[in-house]
Amino acid sequence: MLPAPDTIETTRPIDQSPGFWRDAWRHFRRRKLSMIALCYVVFLCLVALFAPLIAGTKPIVCKYKGQIYFPFMGYYLRTWENPVFFQDRFRGEYPKPLAEKDPESWAIWPLVYQDPYRRIRENEWPGRAGNPVSIEGKPSSLNWLGTNQQGFDVFAQMVHGTQIALSVGFMSMGIAAAIGICFGALAGYFGGWIDTILSRVIELVMCIPTLVLILALVALLNKVSNYHLMVIVGITGWTGIARLTRAEFLKLKQMEFVTAARAMGAGWPRIMFRHVLRNALAPVLVPITFGIADAILIESGLSYLGFGASPPNPSWGTLLHSGRSAIEEMWWLILFPGLAIFFTVLAYNLIGEGLQEATDPRLRQAAH
Amino acid sequence: MVHYLIRRLLLGIFTLLLITFVVYALIRHMPGTPLTTDPAMMNPSRMPSPEDIERRAKLYGLDKPWHIAYFIWLGNTLQGDLGNSIPKNNAPVTRLIAERVPATLMLSVTSLLLTYLLSIPIGLWATVKSGSFAERVVSTALYMLYSMPAFVAALYLQLLFYSRLGWLPLFGMRSDNYETLSASAQLWDLFKHALLPVICFTYGSLAYYSRFIYANMQETVRQDYVRTARAKGVPPARVIWHHAFRNTLIPLVTLMGLTLPSLLGGAVILEQIFSWPGMGRLYFEAIGQRDYETIMGLTLMFSILTLGGQLLADVLYAIVDPRVTYN
Repeated sequence: MLPAPDTIETTRPIDQSPGFWRDAWRHFRRRKLSMIALCYVVFLCLVALFAPLIAGTKPIVCKYKGQIYFPFMGYYLRTWENPVFFQDRFRGEYPKPLAEKDPESWAIWPLVYQDPYRRIRENEWPGRAGNPVSIEGKPSSLNWLGTNQQGFDVFAQMVHGTQIALSVGFMSMGIAAAIGICFGALAGYFGGWIDTILSRVIELVMCIPTLVLILALVALLNKVSNYHLMVIVGITGWTGIARLTRAEFLKLKQMEFVTAARAMGAGWPRIMFRHVLRNALAPVLVPITFGIADAILIESGLSYLGFGASPPNPSWGTLLHSGRSAIEEMWWLILFPGLAIFFTVLAYNLIGEGLQEATDPRLRQAAH
Repeated sequence: MVHYLIRRLLLGIFTLLLITFVVYALIRHMPGTPLTTDPAMMNPSRMPSPEDIERRAKLYGLDKPWHIAYFIWLGNTLQGDLGNSIPKNNAPVTRLIAERVPATLMLSVTSLLLTYLLSIPIGLWATVKSGSFAERVVSTALYMLYSMPAFVAALYLQLLFYSRLGWLPLFGMRSDNYETLSASAQLWDLFKHALLPVICFTYGSLAYYSRFIYANMQETVRQDYVRTARAKGVPPARVIWHHAFRNTLIPLVTLMGLTLPSLLGGAVILEQIFSWPGMGRLYFEAIGQRDYETIMGLTLMFSILTLGGQLLADVLYAIVDPRVTYN
């Protein structure tokens, strides 16, 4: 039925057609598994961000000698822990000194009183047993996922290890994306001898076995930190991104909008990054997502082999490493961190696949 | 084609030179030398004097700067001499590598055969049953397998079959009493040791290939010629095998070329977990001992295989698909 003439006047002009990203998001949302994976990654990010609030031995908020302090910040950066607690010789243990030195004090504690970097001793928390060591450290009501050989709580280590896994994934792929996009963009946009040289460099890095490169680079360092690992994984993992960017640029630079931009007098950096890259971003995002999964794998694999960051380092791979030497007794050191690595890699793969399908119009049509 | 091959080969040699140069530079800058990382030297009573170390360094040519040493290495290599491994009692690198080849091949060839034997039927089955409940269950399971890191899977399998059930040995390739066993018992022993490594080597590529075949078949069965074949009454099995699958072979063949390096390269982490005496483990040992010659020999071999695999993939592509020409 036709609408009455007076309603036509009141309706707005035809809605703007949805933008590319909005459309992609609409398609992505339809994939249930990818959405679950995305929720899982968001959940992990929250865990990583608030790790000291979930498991730790430093109060979130406490009132001590008339002042309010936030000692848990010390988990993020050592110097963020208020110096008054060092002066008063707390030695990293809060419950007893807090009560003894200032009976008026109060504190709000993290959800789980466990520490990823040390063992909880007996009566450290009044009336609470200490952490068992080695094969006694089965999962229990105090140590949900058990303890390792030295009596460190596995749950606390895994919660704090989330920070490492996620930051290594994001940072290393950030580095890889920066290098890969620059290389690919320059090679694809300019072509000619620049392309020949850059393509050789890409091929060179691709042909050196990744693990050879990584082990050699790790061996160059005396004391490895997670930041080193991020850089190493980043500078070895950009070739796929570079090749894809190059292919996209080769295709897109022939388009009319590039000619138009050039005619309007835009310089090449502007055309490259503002006009072409924007259109090439969607396909490039897919290998980046898969790359995050790879980076997490490499980090945990290296830690597992004992080539990861120097201890104390509550990485998931380090837990596996300690579990391997006690595979006959301490199954909990393998089962739980293994699951964490597996689900995280799975989640990133699912997100990558969802992105691929949501941003590629060809695949989108095939799905219907 | 010949022109193309020559160009590729020349480029390949140039790339190879660059790779070896970069790797040589890297390993020579690692702290320590093969002489200082020898465990025997950690013993204070047997600690050699600085003069002694200097003398030996001179003997092995370690006193020269790395870029000169690289060209010496290159010259020797061009004459077919990969040098001797200093930490392994001066054994020739070629012999060290040759000793490790069978162990790695045993795993990789078995796993490759298993992958092809299983993934093609699974992929085709999934195509036929596409959309059914069983297919979705299998596809999901394969996807999960594909995302399962091999070293986690290895640990889980060891946990289950060694420490829980006690059915299989933890690692190694042979039992201690291997020599005393009868021939059939030796075979059984080898089988028990190889089972877990082969599973870990296989499941990832199996999942990948099955999904790959399934995805390609999904595209092919929608083509017009498949509909034509169906319409003219070709039996369904023949349509799938003869009309559709043949045309998905092209990407499969190129994939085969790219798996060539992994055939000999082994997997460093997996061989390490299972203490499997293959190339990956040799490489790992060599890095730890700063065994320059062995690292270079292995790097050279891996790089040649990688470059050769890529070339092979491109050539096979042109052979299988007549539309592709390189001119």
